[in-house]
Amino acid sequence: MTVPPAAVFSPWRHRLAAFTAACTLLLIFIGGLVTSTGSGLAVPDWPLSYGMLMPPMVGGVFYEHGHRMAATFVGLLTTILAVWTARSEARAGVRRLAWAALLTVIAQGLLGGLTVKFLLPTPVSVAHACLAQSFFCLVIALAYATSREFIGGGGAVAPDDDRAGVRAAAALATGVVFAQLAAGAVMRHMGAGLAIPDFPLAAGRLIPPFDNAGVAVHFAHRVGALLVLAAVARLLVRAGRSRDPRLSRTSSVALVLVMAQIVLGAATVLSGRAVVPTTAHVAVGAAVLGTCWLVTLRAFRLRRRPEPLASAARRIGVAVTP
Amino acid sequence: MSIRNRFAVLVLAAFAVTAACGGGEKQETQAPPPPAGTAASPAAGAPPAAGNEMISGKVTYDGVVPPPEKVKLSADPKCVELNKDGLEKQPIKVTDGGLANVLVYVKNGPAGSYPVPTEPAVIDQQGCNYTPHVVAMQAGQPLKIKNSDDTLHNIHPRPTVNAEFNIGQPRKGMETTKTFDKKEVMFPVGCDVHPWMRAYISVLDHPFYAVTEADGTFEIKGLPAGEYEVEAYHEKLKAQTQKVTVKAGEPAKADFAFKG
Repeated sequence: MTVPPAAVFSPWRHRLAAFTAACTLLLIFIGGLVTSTGSGLAVPDWPLSYGMLMPPMVGGVFYEHGHRMAATFVGLLTTILAVWTARSEARAGVRRLAWAALLTVIAQGLLGGLTVKFLLPTPVSVAHACLAQSFFCLVIALAYATSREFIGGGGAVAPDDDRAGVRAAAALATGVVFAQLAAGAVMRHMGAGLAIPDFPLAAGRLIPPFDNAGVAVHFAHRVGALLVLAAVARLLVRAGRSRDPRLSRTSSVALVLVMAQIVLGAATVLSGRAVVPTTAHVAVGAAVLGTCWLVTLRAFRLRRRPEPLASAARRIGVAVTP
Repeated sequence: MSIRNRFAVLVLAAFAVTAACGGGEKQETQAPPPPAGTAASPAAGAPPAAGNEMISGKVTYDGVVPPPEKVKLSADPKCVELNKDGLEKQPIKVTDGGLANVLVYVKNGPAGSYPVPTEPAVIDQQGCNYTPHVVAMQAGQPLKIKNSDDTLHNIHPRPTVNAEFNIGQPRKGMETTKTFDKKEVMFPVGCDVHPWMRAYISVLDHPFYAVTEADGTFEIKGLPAGEYEVEAYHEKLKAQTQKVTVKAGEPAKADFAFKG
């Protein structure tokens, strides 16, 4: 039987991965600013900007070219991480994860170029938004896989603790959040952010008249928010039953972020899509996804503590002679 | 070839393909403007009946005029420098009751195909604003886009029938010529660098149109006698239409009254 290579904790490589994840969240915020300020086409060419590497950073150019600069920085960090991981990581799966992250950030850059070249077609803009979230999850996975916690074996729960339940709840919450982010991206890039102009009611009712596709998509996003709240609340309950303190803490953070996200969603509508609450709503959405994803990774890393002999014997009905 | 080298080649190829494709326009490149001195007809057909008659009038506005909105120019120091007294946006511009920047045009022009002017219509970026605010031109006529500012602009018209494009003019003195081939009334053109910049372009399939002056007056010349449907279109107040009878030897009058 082949023994898998032992992972060695590399603190600086782990810090680089965690730093890349943090920079990715900031990049998502900066990307959100581009759309919120209507600057998506302020730089009409790609990959250069007005034929220059560094154009005057005025007006919409400040947001769009600033976004390109931040994206280039994250691409550079990812490249360093991928090459470093390839050269020094014993686990083949982690090496593949690092290359996957690099390929994804390259694809994300190309999608960004396509949005400019083809004048912000909605499907490409939505794909660009969703791939950003996927890349964020990849980098979080890399950071976790290189962490002392993961290499040390992860958390441990008692045999009768709810390991399967918390795993299922975490995976479901992550899936629901991702679907909600995708719906939000569709709504934003089809210009339906104010298709329902009031809150908490919808056109003065609980259920608005579905006059057009924008109203339907916007309402689906509001319903999705309630589903996210329910899924994350359920996750917190299941995390409590697992009795792993890290899972409970991370799930609590996720629930607080969801509640903040709902407030920001309301603020976005009531402010008529003012730049600050709208962009914060994009960034906190990514933070909710990242947190739920981290809970999922931790849940799937949970081990069972060995069952005491007396307890096992009682369970299977065998007498144990001392 | 090693796996790493294959990967590098794939990445470089992907960049090359993406940099080469697209071009900032949603459709194929438009036809170049006709050479100077020639008059190309947009479609085969009988030439229109000659006309010497005129429709003139005044577009007025009766109502509360929203106060001008002061534009925050701080996003571009050059725009601040070019507008020492500040810049204001006022879509509803009224002088002595007359409403400026209204497109007035004949909806049902006399049958026939009209020679396309070779003289370009012009829109200029001056003081981080468009001059004029409303441009009217014929389908196929060249539109000369000028940058008279010492700062960069992008020109991004948003038609729904014609081809959309987005081009950059990073330097003062740059000029670009484009054409629109299809009739389309009052579609916006803006600059994504300076979001307050807004103008409107109208493309007609005949030469019977005008944009009202500051005092709301207009003249449409060269019409043969006949019955016409004339529309006045303002960016905020939208459209009014009326039937006008043009008799030989008698200038016709058409006044429009918008209310706020």
